[in-house]
Amino acid sequence: MLSAIGTHGPTVSPVAMMLLNATFFFVAVWLLVKPQYKAETWLWPLFIFVGIAAGARIAMSFIPNVMPVTIMAVMVGSKFGAQRGIAFAILVTLASNAILGHGWWSLFQIIGWASVAVVASMVRVHDAEGRLSLNQLAFASLWSVPIFSIIVSFSIIDSGMSLIEFGLYLANGLLYDMLHFLGNIFFAMWFGQWFERLLMMNQVQHRLVQQENEHVSTF
Amino acid sequence: MMRIATVIVLTLLIIPFVQASSESSWTQEFESGYISTKPLIVEDSVYVRISGFWTGEERPFVAAFELETGNEIWRYASQTSLQHDMTPLLYIEKGVGTCGEWDDLLLVGWADGKITAHSPVNGSIIWQNQTEVDVIGISGKMGFEADRLIVPTRTGLSTFCLADGTELLDIDTGNIGWRNGVTITEEGYVFGDESGYLHEVDRNGIVSSTFLGEGKIRHAPLDTRHGLFVHLQTSGGSTMYLNGSIIGNAGHSPAIPIFYGDRIYAATSDEWISILCDEQGCAIDSTESFQSNGELALHIVDSEVELWAPSNTPSGGWGVFNQTSLIRMETTMFDTYGTAAPGFGNDVVALGNDAGILFVTHQFTTESPTKTSDTDVIGTIHYVSILVLFVLTCFSFAHQDWRQMARLGSTFLLVLALVVVPELSLKLAEKTSSEGEAEWNDSWPEEWKGTQIILFEIDGEEHVIGGLESQDTVYELTLVACEALDITAEIEQQYLGAYLVSFNGSVGDGWEFTINGKWIPVGMTEAQLDEASIVEWRPV
Repeated sequence: MLSAIGTHGPTVSPVAMMLLNATFFFVAVWLLVKPQYKAETWLWPLFIFVGIAAGARIAMSFIPNVMPVTIMAVMVGSKFGAQRGIAFAILVTLASNAILGHGWWSLFQIIGWASVAVVASMVRVHDAEGRLSLNQLAFASLWSVPIFSIIVSFSIIDSGMSLIEFGLYLANGLLYDMLHFLGNIFFAMWFGQWFERLLMMNQVQHRLVQQENEHVSTF
Repeated sequence: MMRIATVIVLTLLIIPFVQASSESSWTQEFESGYISTKPLIVEDSVYVRISGFWTGEERPFVAAFELETGNEIWRYASQTSLQHDMTPLLYIEKGVGTCGEWDDLLLVGWADGKITAHSPVNGSIIWQNQTEVDVIGISGKMGFEADRLIVPTRTGLSTFCLADGTELLDIDTGNIGWRNGVTITEEGYVFGDESGYLHEVDRNGIVSSTFLGEGKIRHAPLDTRHGLFVHLQTSGGSTMYLNGSIIGNAGHSPAIPIFYGDRIYAATSDEWISILCDEQGCAIDSTESFQSNGELALHIVDSEVELWAPSNTPSGGWGVFNQTSLIRMETTMFDTYGTAAPGFGNDVVALGNDAGILFVTHQFTTESPTKTSDTDVIGTIHYVSILVLFVLTCFSFAHQDWRQMARLGSTFLLVLALVVVPELSLKLAEKTSSEGEAEWNDSWPEEWKGTQIILFEIDGEEHVIGGLESQDTVYELTLVACEALDITAEIEQQYLGAYLVSFNGSVGDGWEFTINGKWIPVGMTEAQLDEASIVEWRPV
């Protein structure tokens, strides 16, 4: 929505921006190293996901609001939980905005994608056995858009803006939100399963080894 | 692999809608200022002028470059012209007349009212003279006949001897003009003004003025066999007149029309227009949705007519039309807003835009106009692909292959939306921003009523000015007002558009503007103004 309108909030000085980015980076690192109850092996899949998401966002920056980041945030949040999902959102935003440009909006993009990941960790697009549900992912393509868009749109709010004006601003971005949704659906349908295999790249091997060990132990 | 291939194909399909690019021979990027007028290609040189509002050390200039290499040959900067220089450069070959003999001349009209005649070889001034100034000086297209230069001035018209610059005629109409180009007819010279008057001056200096209508004449009238054609800029859009009679209405901010063969080509913020003149008269023959507000250029390739119109939009580029419709878009990797017509040479085209980038290439003219360009091919593939995707989606639906249908259907909808959404969104934003009541302040001078007024609140102090030259966007009005009020505006060009960083060095938490008291959900370069808008800049 932000890029749809071409309006943006206050300027952040380079020093403040650097401090903000550094803070976010350390938060991301902390979230990654902090122990989590989930047992999935997440490190390499998450880093690969960050690389793909940031690279795709940069490569597709000329297409307004179409990028795989949102749907990937959903999958990370659902698969690895809110903590890793937030770390994913921070790292993708920092990495991609290094090329696309940092600013006041970076903060809101991070919060936007992190919120999507947090909601996905609760709503889940994986079933009880950890299998990806494409129907749930398609539904997530829809609900993730207003979450991200509204949060990012907060970046332009100031003391002089009324609720009606903010509503008007949101309304003007609805068409681009639709584009965001269609982009999400596209990535979900074409790449959902492939992303899922990436997220499970270590898990499959781990389970195989475990099964083999079990087999050996019972032999 | 299938998925990777899908993304690659999809990206290829999307590219023509976002930007089609072509290669350049060379470019020159000027750090400040705009290229608002057509670059001139003469033999082995390209001449270009830079315009802008100048407050610091920088000043407008005219420069010459080698056509093949882009090496700068010379540069002449005016120290006194501070407003937008909108007068197209004029090249006149050497000749002789009753007032003397002259060599090849490059003639430049300046916003401070000066006329300078330069040697095209080294830029040295051969002669110069001064015309009337009323805040601004010369801004319209000049002409010449025999041994004299015809200059539309701010307040009327002057003629000068080409040999030595002696003023031969000086007419004051009592009204002011802006981009008031002059046309030379059998009877004399014709030009318009900002009050809607058309002035005809015979060669003895006798003036006859005709009121055409409420509005502004910002181009040289076109001399057709059915009388003079004028595209009048009005408060509600524009009106086209032929021989004093209205032949049609159109959008805001009309471009400078041109006449060739039996057709007049015009444009506005809303459309490109082709007007056919037959035995009975002239009438609109076809229109295309397009935004062009500056110069248009004619290019004849193998006897086929090409009309080039700069797209005055954030994505820029040049629309290339035949006599009735758009045939392709020509784009560069530097595209942004533009109002300057392309300059054509022998298999070369020189393009300038509002970012101050001069782009000279052989690329565009190496193809026959009847041959489909790469952009056309990709564009056609794109449309065919939309159709194919739709058919495949239906096919999947018929076979109840839901998974395939979801994939193909999402691709179809995405590609379709990418075509529709950007344009639709802009239109919606314009609709929602057009409401609002003007907040007139009784302490303002009465003569500001009905004009554009702009207010800046800087460090708690209000600076306000009105009665300025009517501008199309908040961006343009801000620049004009800052110049008039001696306010230093720092504006950055970011990927989201022009971004106001500071006024007089005051950054604060950012700046926002309103139009007629209403907050506008578009950037300042896209926020359109009417003739009586009140703009307010306040800190966030």
